[in-house]
Amino acid sequence: MDHELILDVRDVSYRYPGAGAGADALAGVSLAARAGAVHAVLGPNGSGKTTLLRVALGVLAPATGGSRILGRPAAAWSRRELARVVGVVTQREENLFPQRVRETVLLGRYARLSLWGAERPEDRAAVTRALERCDVLSLADRWIWTLSGGEYQRVRLARALAQEPRLLVLDEPTASLDVRHEMELFQLVRALADRDGLAVVLITHHVNLAARFADRVLLLSGGQPAGEGPPGDVLSRETVERVFAWPVSIAPFEGRPQVIPLRKDHT
Amino acid sequence: MKWLGLGLVVVAAFLGAVVLGPVHVPLAGLAASDIVRTLRLPRALLAFLVGGSLALSGAGLQALIRNPLADPFLLGLSGGAGLGAVAAIALHLASPWALPLAAFAGALGATALVYRLGLVGGGELDPRVLILAGVAVGAFAAAVTTAIVSLSDAAELRNTFLWLWGGLSGASWDSVLVLAVYLPLPLAVLFAAARPLDLLALGEEPARHLGADVESLKRRVFVAASLLAAVCVAVSGVIGFVGLVVPHAMRTLWGHRHRPLLPAAFLGGGALLALSDTVARVAVAPRELPVGIVTALVGVPVFALLLRRWTTS
Amino acid sequence: MERRHSLRSHTIRLVALAAALACRPADHAPAAAGSTVIDDAGRTVVLAQPAHRIVSLSPAVTELLFALGVGDRVVGRTTWCDYPPVVRLVPSVGDGLNPSLEALAARRPDLVVLYRSPLNETAAAQLSRLGIAAVVLRQDRLEDVARAARLLGRLVGRSAAGDSLADSLSRLLAAPAPRSRRRLAFVVWDSPPIVIGAGSYLDQLATLAGAENVFHDIAAASAAVGLETIATRDPDVIVVVSDSAEPRPPALARRPEWRVIRAVREGRFVYLVGSLFGRPGPRAGGAAGELRRLLGQVTR
Repeated sequence: MDHELILDVRDVSYRYPGAGAGADALAGVSLAARAGAVHAVLGPNGSGKTTLLRVALGVLAPATGGSRILGRPAAAWSRRELARVVGVVTQREENLFPQRVRETVLLGRYARLSLWGAERPEDRAAVTRALERCDVLSLADRWIWTLSGGEYQRVRLARALAQEPRLLVLDEPTASLDVRHEMELFQLVRALADRDGLAVVLITHHVNLAARFADRVLLLSGGQPAGEGPPGDVLSRETVERVFAWPVSIAPFEGRPQVIPLRKDHT
Repeated sequence: MKWLGLGLVVVAAFLGAVVLGPVHVPLAGLAASDIVRTLRLPRALLAFLVGGSLALSGAGLQALIRNPLADPFLLGLSGGAGLGAVAAIALHLASPWALPLAAFAGALGATALVYRLGLVGGGELDPRVLILAGVAVGAFAAAVTTAIVSLSDAAELRNTFLWLWGGLSGASWDSVLVLAVYLPLPLAVLFAAARPLDLLALGEEPARHLGADVESLKRRVFVAASLLAAVCVAVSGVIGFVGLVVPHAMRTLWGHRHRPLLPAAFLGGGALLALSDTVARVAVAPRELPVGIVTALVGVPVFALLLRRWTTS
Repeated sequence: MERRHSLRSHTIRLVALAAALACRPADHAPAAAGSTVIDDAGRTVVLAQPAHRIVSLSPAVTELLFALGVGDRVVGRTTWCDYPPVVRLVPSVGDGLNPSLEALAARRPDLVVLYRSPLNETAAAQLSRLGIAAVVLRQDRLEDVARAARLLGRLVGRSAAGDSLADSLSRLLAAPAPRSRRRLAFVVWDSPPIVIGAGSYLDQLATLAGAENVFHDIAAASAAVGLETIATRDPDVIVVVSDSAEPRPPALARRPEWRVIRAVREGRFVYLVGSLFGRPGPRAGGAAGELRRLLGQVTR
């Protein structure tokens, strides 16, 4: 499998305007996402995960370091060009309008449509493929407000796939999903990397699922990298306890470390 | 089918505006009639262009501000126009174009101020701040206007409010020509923004990642919608409800996708205003009602009906 | 203060006198005594003696007071009161619309005359509570002026003069109008076009001048109409009322849509100066004559 470097974030720092000195949202973070690999970004709340996403995709300009996508600096990409290469499923989406599933996935074709031109057969075909890939083709004509949380997430993923991207970025995609839908999503994401050769960056605070499904993890703590590499290397007991400020025990499962939080009884 | 129906409504409204009036013109004599050629025809065209522009502006602003209650005159525009008009009258400016130009300048001035206030850190337009700024600027302009009126020669300025209530009585081929030259650019900008506006409905961040240049989009839509509303006020005073109600009415038939919605809103708004103007001219003939009253009388029940549909669906 | 006391005691005397004079018609009350009138707001106003310090909040009333020969008793006027010119020496107390009671009271009047409007009726009630007699008079048409002349005559102790003025105005109104074929329209605003209808005294003036207001069928004093209506009714002359005496063609004359109207195309305008024509008053006869003369100049 070709392991082309799709996203190359080198040593970026960023501070939000108005934040005091020493309150860097990111400091010296690097991330390299390759085709066919799943890269998880982990860390407690406020550790800079979403900020990293924004800097990586050129939405925010870093104070130091830089981000390249397919070799070009992120700032050099227009939004439209970038949307043909990177598909993002954001943490939140507020859809104002009642829509059917097929319509909302079709929005993903925007970057490939000409200004005045209508949707072409190849656009509809891409939408159908994306729906199939995410196993929501049977829901194609449903109104999105009738979908369950898990179904809606897969529809949003289908929309990102309709962009026919090389890189898929998901920001906390399983935040409010139950076990079954979480597993379905992680399995789907893994299959997309393995079967279709997509590079995947997955921001999550579900440490254990990330450990099982990701090839590499980046652990952030207060905007700084606390470890980067295969899950087994990064998720040691000392590191996890330090970053999450809680006593844990690490137990292996299917060859991957699983974090078990311990009880802190005050006697 | 829907488009055919809309087309028929447009044609019927246009024909009504030309054939009907306080003065009876026999069908045979329509083409030769001075009244039809010099008065009714340009007035019907003006009604279309103004009604369509207001509806389009309203649809664009509703998408931009992400608020279904947005109206072209929400953002301080009508207050600014009123202030400009009152100033022109108080200064006894002589030219026949003085009043429209002053209203236009006032509208743009208010819009520029609202825009400036709506820019938050980083040069980005925040729609929520836009609404608040618009209400504030509009209220301020209205207060200054009232102050000028109360301190000045009462009779003429009372008549200003009649003008502000909205009327197409000043329609001429000159004003149609001005609109024909002015409108294409802002109209084109809004029509071209149709797809990105669909993306914006998901939220600014998702829209950005799907390929929309969100900052440029917000600026373009705000400026184009304001330019449309400003020229409409200059030409025909403040005509309410068209910009608010027509986009919603069209959404019940065409859905929320802006590519069909925007043209439908333009045509629907034009037809509604042409129809309302015909009613304004004919209902109490030989007297004329201000068209703003007719659009409100028609618009409010339609709006109430739409609200019922929403709350029951 | 002493005036109020005497007002009260005189009122009691007046009631006794009125009872004794019950057989005599009210409008023949002796000149030197007090008077009781019912104004146009239905309020009964009682004066113990003829008014000597009068504030007039209406230009027509000011003219009437001078016409009755009591111009020297006017101690307050509005900014619009400009006839006769000598009245400009009298201090102004505002524009007559929403009078400041302080400014009024400062003139120490024993009679205030207001024109009829809802705000003024409230002001009149407040003045009465302050002990100042206030009379509210309608000022819309010439018959109102006639009635005002009669009423004011009684209030100032010049009943004969008041009645004679009222009678001459009534005769003017009743006089058969010298016929002419001149047809006119009064245009008072251009966007939207506003014309004068039968409810306005200007319509009456037109009749007195022997002309026909093409919008006489509209009952209101003024109304917005369509340009095509004006064009079809084809007045011979467009009459414009303005404050300045300059006979300059109005702005509307240059606008293409107005030129559908023949009178605008042919430049047949008559200009009426606001002071004489802007309100009904005792000079109505002269105004009608002037209008007739101006119309004659413009039409064949």
